Amino acid sequence: MTSATKGTSLKKTLFVLIPAIFAQAGGNVFVSTSMKEVGNSSWFLLLPRAIESPTLWLGTVLLAVSFILFASALSWADLSFVVPAVSAEVILNVVFASYFLHEVVSLTRWTGVLLISMGVVLVLRSERQKALRSEDIFRKEGL
Amino acid sequence: MKTAILIAIIVLADATGDVFLTRGMKQVGEISTINPRALFRVGGKVITNKNFLSGIFFITITFVSFLIVLSWADLSLVFPTKSLVYVFSTLGAKFVLGETVTLQRWMGIFLVCVGVGLTSLP
Repeated sequence: MTSATKGTSLKKTLFVLIPAIFAQAGGNVFVSTSMKEVGNSSWFLLLPRAIESPTLWLGTVLLAVSFILFASALSWADLSFVVPAVSAEVILNVVFASYFLHEVVSLTRWTGVLLISMGVVLVLRSERQKALRSEDIFRKEGL
Repeated sequence: MKTAILIAIIVLADATGDVFLTRGMKQVGEISTINPRALFRVGGKVITNKNFLSGIFFITITFVSFLIVLSWADLSLVFPTKSLVYVFSTLGAKFVLGETVTLQRWMGIFLVCVGVGLTSLP
């Protein structure tokens, strides 16, 4: 891959992944808002009530958009770009929850969230190495 | 406690759904065309694939449980703890599929576990 095409693909990937994580965290904020609004209903009325809320639909559409963006990025981008995005998503959700939903996030919880996002990077990186190894095998066997 | 049960359902249904979806998509095969007619045929194969449909069923359970738990629990608790799915998919890979799990991955799930513990402290 030449450096020029690499640059274009990096731009393209960021152009897709950054909106993807923002749509994801934003979608969760809307979904959470609408569910809290119907939170007093009895258990079996929760979903029928929530379905009437436009906020829930807005949130769901954003989540679907994020899913499609992630899936399309996975079809061309190297996992090394996608892994940090998945990990950043965990942090961004907590930032959004604290800023838009005014949830109180303790220092202990922040520490936990950071550890989780680091753990996710390690888990997904090992997936990537496995994928690279199997590509090597295919190449060696001329497949 | 109610929150913990729902998060457990989310995580287990998510991991199970992933296994079915992956299996289903592998049976259908790689999509390497943009020819509309061929894509339409692939689409037909996908939506009639039993593994794929089971996957969609479990993903639906995941989403509905996620909505229900958010009606009372904080997003800043639920979203990070959902990462426990990686722990279950690793255990599944090791004990169900018999794959070898790298040290790096074990370290990752250890961090996720400690992190979830800290995140869910009151």
